[in-house]
Amino acid sequence: MWRTHSMAENREHRGAIEAELDPVEYTLRKRLPHRLPRRPNDIYVNMKTDFKAQLARCQKLLDGGSRGQNACTEIYIHGLGLAINRAINIALQLQAGSFGSLQVAANTSTVELVDELEPETDTQEPLTRIRNNSAIHIRVFRVTPK
Amino acid sequence: MSNAKERKHAKKMRNQPTNVTLSSGFVADRGVKHHNGGGKAFQAPRLGTAPPRQTKTTHYAPPEPDVSEQLSSRVMFKKKGGWRAGPEGTSQEIPKYITASTFAQARAAEISAMLKAVTQKSSNSLVFQTLPRHMRRRAMSHNVKRLPRRLQEMAQKEAEKAVHQKKEHSKNKCHKARRCHVNRMLEFNRRQKKNIWLETHIWHAKRFHVVRQWGYCLGERPTVKSHRACYRAMTNRCLLQDLSYYCCLELKGKEEEILKALSPMCSIDTGLTFAAVHCLSGKRQGSLTLYRAHRYPHGVLGPVTFIWRPERTPGDTSASRQLWIWLHPTLKQDILEEVKAACQCTEPVTPTPCVPDPLPTPSHGQSQPALPDEKIGKKRKRKDDGEDAKPVKKFFGDGTRDPHQPRSWISAATGIVISDLTMEMNRFRLIGPLSHSILTEALKAASVHMEGEDTEKTPHLWWIETCKNPDAVSLHRRQEAIFELLGGVTSPAEIPAGTVLGLTVGDPRINLPQKRSTALPNPEKCQDNEEVRQLLLEGVPVECAHSFIWSHAVCESVTENKISDQDLNQKRSELLVPGSQLVLGPHESKIPILLIQQPGRVAGDDRRGWGSGWDVLLPKGWGMAFWIPFIYRGARAGGLKEARVHSQYKRSPYVPGDFPDCSAGVLFAEEQANDLLEKYKRRPPAKRPNYVKLGTLAPFCCPWEQLTRDWESRVQAREGSPGAFPPRGEGSDLRGDEVPCVPTPEKPRQAPDEADTPLQDARGPEGERDTECPAQAGAAGLPGQDATGSLLCVLRSRAALKQLSAWCGPSCGGRRAAQRAPGRGQRDLTPEACLPLLDRFPRALVWVSLSLLGKGSPEPRTMICVPAEEDFLQLGRDRLYCGPQEPKHSDPFKSKIRKQKEKKKVEKRQNHGPAGSEGLPVGGPAVGLPALTLGLWSGPLPDVTSHCSRALLGFVTQGDFSMAVGCGEALGFVSLTGLLDTLCRQPAAQRGLVLLRPPASPQYRFARIAIEL
Repeated sequence: MWRTHSMAENREHRGAIEAELDPVEYTLRKRLPHRLPRRPNDIYVNMKTDFKAQLARCQKLLDGGSRGQNACTEIYIHGLGLAINRAINIALQLQAGSFGSLQVAANTSTVELVDELEPETDTQEPLTRIRNNSAIHIRVFRVTPK
Repeated sequence: MSNAKERKHAKKMRNQPTNVTLSSGFVADRGVKHHNGGGKAFQAPRLGTAPPRQTKTTHYAPPEPDVSEQLSSRVMFKKKGGWRAGPEGTSQEIPKYITASTFAQARAAEISAMLKAVTQKSSNSLVFQTLPRHMRRRAMSHNVKRLPRRLQEMAQKEAEKAVHQKKEHSKNKCHKARRCHVNRMLEFNRRQKKNIWLETHIWHAKRFHVVRQWGYCLGERPTVKSHRACYRAMTNRCLLQDLSYYCCLELKGKEEEILKALSPMCSIDTGLTFAAVHCLSGKRQGSLTLYRAHRYPHGVLGPVTFIWRPERTPGDTSASRQLWIWLHPTLKQDILEEVKAACQCTEPVTPTPCVPDPLPTPSHGQSQPALPDEKIGKKRKRKDDGEDAKPVKKFFGDGTRDPHQPRSWISAATGIVISDLTMEMNRFRLIGPLSHSILTEALKAASVHMEGEDTEKTPHLWWIETCKNPDAVSLHRRQEAIFELLGGVTSPAEIPAGTVLGLTVGDPRINLPQKRSTALPNPEKCQDNEEVRQLLLEGVPVECAHSFIWSHAVCESVTENKISDQDLNQKRSELLVPGSQLVLGPHESKIPILLIQQPGRVAGDDRRGWGSGWDVLLPKGWGMAFWIPFIYRGARAGGLKEARVHSQYKRSPYVPGDFPDCSAGVLFAEEQANDLLEKYKRRPPAKRPNYVKLGTLAPFCCPWEQLTRDWESRVQAREGSPGAFPPRGEGSDLRGDEVPCVPTPEKPRQAPDEADTPLQDARGPEGERDTECPAQAGAAGLPGQDATGSLLCVLRSRAALKQLSAWCGPSCGGRRAAQRAPGRGQRDLTPEACLPLLDRFPRALVWVSLSLLGKGSPEPRTMICVPAEEDFLQLGRDRLYCGPQEPKHSDPFKSKIRKQKEKKKVEKRQNHGPAGSEGLPVGGPAVGLPALTLGLWSGPLPDVTSHCSRALLGFVTQGDFSMAVGCGEALGFVSLTGLLDTLCRQPAAQRGLVLLRPPASPQYRFARIAIEL
């Protein structure tokens, strides 16, 4: 299952789809991926925001406030397509900086993305296509250090 | 000595007793009369009973310069002498002796004066305001007894005076009477005679800054500080807007006839038309730009959205159809005229046309309810017994239409009926991801009427009849199911753009929550299932787009039979268990509504689907009944300002400001320029920017016409010189008669003197154009047609825009361009490749979006300029280089203004005040010179493109710091000729970089240009 709110696009697919369609007749419009309501401990990684900022955001969630209030014991880092790398990177960085108090558990999944093809002429119906993209969901959780 | 200074001094001295007045330097003559006591004291013995006049003469006898010199030196010298130094500047030395009696007398006079001054209140504050804070009491202002005894008398006097001063109460009724419902309604009706109120007006008036615009009273922005909150609502939650002021035109007739009539008004070049398959079936909403018939690149009427009523018999083109065209009120007049002309609808239909609806509907008389109705218009109908006809019209009324004019027209030839449905429906817009949860929580599909329920007294006969038809019931169930599915979709952007869903809902007031709360998406509903997937992929099936709101009869009945808030509350209070659910059964109103998805941001790559939402169409009279439930579910209300922000972040043009080629846009620009000029003139010259020195020719309006013309002549002038730009075909088909007069643009431009103030130049160029090429103007301009008849047009051809958008990319060999180029048959950017485009759209503007590379937040009317070579060099050297500066221009008008002023002074002019500066030119050589305002360019503008150090490309129409992106963003128009010329000259690596300069700043900043579609 996929929850996202911003994601990196899969660039390889674009070429493939455009090749099989007449670009004069259709305009490709990619729709947002279907998403689920967000919990406070869900982090969606994208390729636009600065890496350090995203890392800091995760760290903040895990650490909580100045006295450690509202700290999450686990967070979920989600990455789609191109952002998978970055999601993994963030999770590993978190783990490396925690002196062994954080563990990670990764899950992968496939997300269906909808591409809308808008007709350029009056006689054609709009089409939709589904393409799949990979996603990763990393659970970063706190363990009591031995 | 100025008059004001003297007056000020007099005021200061008002309460001073005469004998203690200090003679300061400039009140010399007065200083004599009340000379200070000390002076008198020692004068007396010497001069005896000599009159003061003589005293003066003796004292001040030496010639003036001498005195002043003495005076100043003595003052300097005596500075240490303390208080005596100033006043006694003229006295010679310290007196050798003092007569005790006179001295004491003088002191006594002083003391008594001081005592008098203390008792007399000098400031114009009230008595109780003079008390120290700790002695003040709450009710002092109206209860004299609260004051200390000694002040009571004074306060009493003051209070009496205040009562007299208070102006006569304008209302002849007491407060209570005025608050009485009947009188309030009368008052409300009187107040909305001129500008129409929306149904939510009272609600808005309490919370919004209301402006009168387009014949309506509309909420401009909330009174609370909420710019960012509204942005957050659009992005993460839900923003609610009342768009009921949008106008709706209804076309009824045979499908083929309607399509035939409307097809000349739109062009396939700009995108889909009325005939697009998915729109024609009624499944989706379509949007397009209307043009005057057969005048495609020119004569823009404005953008509209439209919905077809879902057809019953697919494929039959001769079937009777219904089409709704929704448009902005500023565009209505033009579009209505043009549509009427296109459909040949000339005969006004006096009675409201009755749709032959398959559904049996209750007749009017029968359903006339006994229930009083709280709807404003309804009330009016009941109250104004004397004028029966008028209130009815008011009920249907809207600000853009004369109430006595017919609302619908029929054509004998084509059989098309056009009706103006403005204010017949409410349109609410929900923007943001939470709009689904708000909709699904606030609205519940109407309960199907069961057989055997008591149907005797219910007024909702249409629903009972519907429920007898099993097909209709099953359709209702399907619609309900789809509506419920929406609750499981977390963003409206996931639904296909423009999806239409019809629904019949129960009264939303019944399940109003006790308190305002926030509707949050329910995670249980959000499970992946096949139905949701189907909905996302296919959209809503065609049948489910059907709604009874299309039928006038049903709408009218629903409006008539609305149960009033009062009755509803009455019933609620009669419930056995307080707070339990109210069950009205068959008496509950069933309201047909239509939900239309608004796609939000579709163009461009980033933030896709931002600002998507749903529009809800309701029958009139039900506005507040739906508004409050939405608000109670956590929607935040926005006004016109929020609409502007929404369209800016969506990067879509805002009606009417961003349509410079349509008459509404021109009018809007003129009004705006007038307002800004007024505002500018109100500031003192030293406290406002001198736009002439800044090199800003037109700070208040964008001279599009002249911009495009200047670019044309600029490029042509360069063609004449060898090299630079390859020659174009001289006799281009579109403007054969215009070419000869363009190469000499300077002379005709200097000649006309009709442009009297800078703000007139929106109009000026047109006049000039007329003088230049009358043939063209005669061919182009229909009688009574304004700026839309000019050559200026905005490029809306999708093919051309696609081409341009590819060329605007950062480099021609860029990643995306390279990928797309072979597939799309894109050509490389060469001057030759531009020619066909330029020939087809000779003086076109292109809608572009700009994002700043670094600092800076552009404002409207910011200039878009072409960077010079050295700017690129600098930028290459220093990545943080913020841009060049515009050198200071000289102000040739300053001396003229000074001369004029002097002349005026000399000539003792009759007209004074600010009118003088605007009004008649002063005689002599100044005749013919326009009135001058310091800091503004007057007279006809010189070549706008080359006035500054960087060539001007266009202007920004919307611009601000974008909270969505985190940097300055702007939207605007550039000249097509200029853009192509610039792009051709720029090196491929820096293609698409431009400079932005706000009108009141010399600083240029880098921005990247992009054309999105």
